[in-house]
Amino acid sequence: MIRTEQLVKTYENGAIKALQGVDVAIAKGEFACIMGPSGSGKSTFLNMIGALDRPTSGRVWLNGHDLTNVPDLDRIRAREVGFVFQLHNLIPTLTAAENVEIPMFAVGRARAERQKRAAELLELVGLTHRANSIAVKLSGGERQRVSIARALANRPGVILADEPTGDLDSATGREIMKTLEQMRRESGATLIVVTHDLEVGERAGRWFRMRDGRMTEDAR
Amino acid sequence: MFVVKNLLRRRVRTALSVMGVAIGIAAIVAFSAIGDGFQASLSTYFSESQAQLAIFSGNVADMAMSRVTREQKERVLAVPGVLEVSEGTFYVAASAGLRATGSLPALLLFGRAPGTRLMRKYDNGELRGRLLMKEDEILLGFLAAENLGKEPGDTLDFLERTFTVAGVYKTGATWENGGAVVHNAVIQKHLAMGDAFSLGFVYLKDLRQTERVQNDILNAVPGLSVTKATEVPDYFSDQLQYIDWFVWIVSLVAVIIGGLGVLNTMLMNVSERVREIGTLRAVGWSRPMVLWLIFSEGFLISVIGGVLGLAWGVAGAEILVHFAPKGFIHTVYTAEIFGKAAVVAAVLGVVGSLYPAFRASRLSPIEALKYE
Repeated sequence: MIRTEQLVKTYENGAIKALQGVDVAIAKGEFACIMGPSGSGKSTFLNMIGALDRPTSGRVWLNGHDLTNVPDLDRIRAREVGFVFQLHNLIPTLTAAENVEIPMFAVGRARAERQKRAAELLELVGLTHRANSIAVKLSGGERQRVSIARALANRPGVILADEPTGDLDSATGREIMKTLEQMRRESGATLIVVTHDLEVGERAGRWFRMRDGRMTEDAR
Repeated sequence: MFVVKNLLRRRVRTALSVMGVAIGIAAIVAFSAIGDGFQASLSTYFSESQAQLAIFSGNVADMAMSRVTREQKERVLAVPGVLEVSEGTFYVAASAGLRATGSLPALLLFGRAPGTRLMRKYDNGELRGRLLMKEDEILLGFLAAENLGKEPGDTLDFLERTFTVAGVYKTGATWENGGAVVHNAVIQKHLAMGDAFSLGFVYLKDLRQTERVQNDILNAVPGLSVTKATEVPDYFSDQLQYIDWFVWIVSLVAVIIGGLGVLNTMLMNVSERVREIGTLRAVGWSRPMVLWLIFSEGFLISVIGGVLGLAWGVAGAEILVHFAPKGFIHTVYTAEIFGKAAVVAAVLGVVGSLYPAFRASRLSPIEALKYE
């Protein structure tokens, strides 16, 4: 469950208002899509609910944790959130399996456990045969699937994807979205996708539109 | 997993940093081993004399400048409990004769008087030939004999004399084995010392009286320094101090050069991996985890450089020993040397890694993820 209450984020002593009082509640297991023009505050909102940043004012709850007051956001990110980035952000010198293991270091998983979980996840995203390939040798779609597997490594309650298909051709983008939805269904996690892609938006069960730091539409 | 792979990402840069550390450590190990070797030889030299006390001029900075007169020696001999005073002189001979004979740039000469205890120490079962008896005879240390290609019975021209090799000796002091023993008169004439000598080795009738005799000599012969023979190396402390200083200066230069190398490598690594560090932070890595990752990479460079430096240092010192005239350089490897090298390598690792690691750990995940 994600809930925000009068969420405000400003920069440069209030000169830039990235979020201006956002109130949202997203239930566990929902697939929500956030759309809006560049600079509307989508990514800032994602950073707030993903425990990457703290609001200037207002409050954020993530799976029962009040992120405004939690001292250790790293711990929340490690256990509760899985990120999928537009540019996948894999570590180029590591193999697909090693990249999937990365978040598990943050929660202190033992090596054998990490390797087992990484193998499971790569199988889920259909990349068992590429487990030992280093990231730079993977195709764009494969990298994004590894990135999805990495996001699921610690069984997070929330998967946050920022333009996950933005760097892919449309066919690969559709495959990636199918994978993300399948992972959401199987894990029961909440999936929130920020996108410009209407086709992606149509797949979501809930649809937000942002403009000038405000939620202007909330449709199901 | 990450640490090694990250370092292998820029192999040449990592290798150069490792070499920077290794060269510094190698210099420390090699110079320390040679310095310690010199000190060990000096100690052995005096302990093997079996003298209890040593006498030399007071207030001389360099033992070679010491001049103990015949009169002073007589007054020492008059002190109750003194059995013998063996005269010793020193000279470093560098002459065309030596170079022509065995490509030896110089020969350390020890002046001794025939028949004295100090001379008899060379007859220790290792002596080939016999002890010298006359001014035109010479005893060669076995390393000097090898350098010069001489055997007992051969002749050797230098110091405007022709010496006959009476014998070839072997003692526990390496640089004594690389030198030669001549009649005191040879050095006394060459240096115009008259009948004075540099260092007197004092043998006592009763070892239990050492302290008392030492004090009696001090009182009886003003201007003379008297010390226990085993403590004479302490009088070379100024010279030995230079070696220590030299090693410490090398260490400092190593820390600066090696530390800057590691620092530069790690700063470049961090600046190239800002987005990657942002990703680590985004997936839950804490600041201490990122700090530890970067620190470990820098520290590993120093550890590898340190291990390589130890090996290079030993190899370098031994190559120097091999190619230097035999007996001139002697190495001693102690746990202290390796400990010092390990500490310097560790300091390099800490100095070179801590700041980049700290910088990496302070990166904001949001800013780092936006980094192009």
